[in-house]
Amino acid sequence: MKDFIEEVKRNKALFVMAAPAVILVLVMQYLPMTGLVLAFKNYRYDMGVFGSDWNGFANFSYLFSSGTGWLITRNTILYNLLNLITSQFLAVLIAIFITEMNGKIFKKLSQSIIFLPYFISWVIVGVFVYNIFNYETGLLNGMLASMGLDPVNMYDKPGAWPVIICVFNSWKWCGYNSVIYIAAITGVDAEIYEAASIDGATIFQRIRAITLPSIKPTIITMLLLQVGRILRGDFEMFYQIVGNNGQLYNATDVIDTYVFRSLLQNSNIGMTAAASFYQSTLCFIIIVVVNAVVKRIDEEYALF
Amino acid sequence: MKFKTVKRGIALGTAAVMTMGLLTGCGGKSNTSSSGSSSVQTNEDGSLNTDKEVELVMYVISDRPAGQDIVDAKVNEILKEKLNCTLKINWIGWAEYANKYPLLFSSGEAFDLAYSATWVNFTSLAQKGAFKNLDELWPTYAPDNFAATSDTAKEQATVSGHYYCVPTQLATYTAYGPIYRGDLVEGSGWDGVMENYEDIEEYCDIIKETHPEMEPLDQYSAEPEWSYVYMQNQGFTTVDKGLRYMWFDPSEENPKVFTMGEYEGTPEFLEMMARWNEKGFFSKSALSDTDSQKFQNGKAALRVHNIDTYRTQAILNPDWDIRFSNMVKDVAHLPFTQDCMVISNTSKNPERALAFWNLLTTDQEMYDALMYGVEGTTYTLNDKGEFAITDTDLYGEGAMWCARSDKLTRNQVGTPDDYDPQKQAFEQSITAGQGTERFAGFVFDTSSIETEIAACSNVAQQYWWPLELAYTNSETGLAEYTEKMKAAGLDKIVAEAQKQLDAYVASH
Repeated sequence: MKDFIEEVKRNKALFVMAAPAVILVLVMQYLPMTGLVLAFKNYRYDMGVFGSDWNGFANFSYLFSSGTGWLITRNTILYNLLNLITSQFLAVLIAIFITEMNGKIFKKLSQSIIFLPYFISWVIVGVFVYNIFNYETGLLNGMLASMGLDPVNMYDKPGAWPVIICVFNSWKWCGYNSVIYIAAITGVDAEIYEAASIDGATIFQRIRAITLPSIKPTIITMLLLQVGRILRGDFEMFYQIVGNNGQLYNATDVIDTYVFRSLLQNSNIGMTAAASFYQSTLCFIIIVVVNAVVKRIDEEYALF
Repeated sequence: MKFKTVKRGIALGTAAVMTMGLLTGCGGKSNTSSSGSSSVQTNEDGSLNTDKEVELVMYVISDRPAGQDIVDAKVNEILKEKLNCTLKINWIGWAEYANKYPLLFSSGEAFDLAYSATWVNFTSLAQKGAFKNLDELWPTYAPDNFAATSDTAKEQATVSGHYYCVPTQLATYTAYGPIYRGDLVEGSGWDGVMENYEDIEEYCDIIKETHPEMEPLDQYSAEPEWSYVYMQNQGFTTVDKGLRYMWFDPSEENPKVFTMGEYEGTPEFLEMMARWNEKGFFSKSALSDTDSQKFQNGKAALRVHNIDTYRTQAILNPDWDIRFSNMVKDVAHLPFTQDCMVISNTSKNPERALAFWNLLTTDQEMYDALMYGVEGTTYTLNDKGEFAITDTDLYGEGAMWCARSDKLTRNQVGTPDDYDPQKQAFEQSITAGQGTERFAGFVFDTSSIETEIAACSNVAQQYWWPLELAYTNSETGLAEYTEKMKAAGLDKIVAEAQKQLDAYVASH
């Protein structure tokens, strides 16, 4: 404590500068955490957050009562892993392609087109998906029919949906993510490339030996940041693409959609807090573990 | 130096206290009891003192109409004169009500009135202490309304022995059934009888033949209601309208609760649905279709809903010869709490709020202003006293559904001729204390089984909806559904329902 006061005295200006950010985080991020007690309470409006009675783990039981808890946890993690890998991989690929392009107009145009899906809301994407896969009037079955093939009922095939969702997710996000990588690649010293060219390196050799190693820290940071959200399914995406179609739930249900569906009809704040608590705790564990692994491999790249 | 640290300590301390205050403010105990303020609000003779001008705040669920400002001005003009107060209406839109409505009562915000209803969990919110107890306030400050409210309605407004809402006075009925179009089957030689599911099938067969571009049945991503109507067509009643997997036979002296999985007629029903699916009465992707207006836009030929939707549809499309046929075998009154008004436990002027409610539910001028707006601007009246909306984009109908009553509510121009006679027929078919009507006052208290309800409603959506539409195999699907429901705790819900139903029968 004494050391701390000494420290403050010595770097007054620095502490003053840091104060707004620290206070903001404290008030906006740490204080609301006290609300987590709700997960263990039988909430009553007239008794408030702290006055309500404790009820142990009762709020958590609906998550696991019929074995659904494990299924949706598994789905959430697998979907996020799949989406993380595909969308980041595609983003790096796109970034490299775009920076290697020569025609200025073509470069800008293709970047804009790839970026565009980011602005399309999931509601609209949901309509696209329905109009592609509709059994009677959908685009897919229309094409199959014109080729003389039998129609396919996609809504009857849960197994196909992880792929469909992954494709739409990548389509929507890769343009946006690639911007960060483009910035990272632009930051690489041009002299290195020039030197490599003079030494006779081909374009692929340059990408492999210069571009990729240079943006490695960016890739790892991006991955770590995404891992922190791994238990938060992109609710909007799942809700709009899958909607109320129960046939697909075993393959597409994530924690967020399950909680939304189960609790929409009853206003039990405790149960929703419990779901949120469960997600946050798992997220915390995962991020600490992943960070430790990264630290083990190369301390430079770890977040903390 | 030391002085500085002390100062910093004080600053930190104040900040901490302030944030604690903020936190407790969020849903903390609100002890704004009515007894404290009643000395100011009441005259010596017990009548309401309106010397001080107050602003009442009310939350309603609906989208704010574009012409609300014109209506507000008119409403406040009347209110200022009669009760020396103004009314501020806050709108919770349809897109956000599910998330926003429950949070209203935990935010600690001070407001006076709110719309409530069985379908936004009135009972559960009342049990959790969201509303003010109206035991004394209601008869004292809204005496005319209190006197006009029926005993059944009062019983339904009671939660754990206390009044927590002022229910609507408009009688509504459990009548439910197909709304369909006469113009499509004209000249097809159809007998026009629509009484059961065979008639629906006959009608759909004709549609499929004469209008192949249409979907015979209006089915989209919302919960399928074919089994819900089918069961009521057999004379059964749900324990709770939201839990459509649990039924009983109201004609029995001591009814026994049973589930869709157990019911002996379920396989036959599913067989019929498989046939309908095979015939293409609805899309094989219907559960992903978000178009809720297929009937209204002429894409579907039949939907099931209530008589009020029938009226709305008939007014919208007068050339379609739209008809409605009730398929509920034993019609009863719907709970009056399906539209009701509650006083928030944060209200500072509950007395004036109830006085306003008394005025709104007894005074035609006040009611017209809040429900239809300004005569000549937003609506017109014909010589029969029926109203017509001038411009639906400006102002349709107000969202004060909970203030409706048979006395004040007007018919809309274009209401089909058989609308009133059908309603009268429902009223006449009801005998107090008989059949389904005997259970009209029954409210299923789910507070002890919330976990099971949440899990079961989820299983129902995941397994029953596709099964009902015959997307899954009727035999294996039914077995799987039954097994999953069991795992989710259905037996506990049924036992609880049976217990409460027995207690209700014993006390009535």
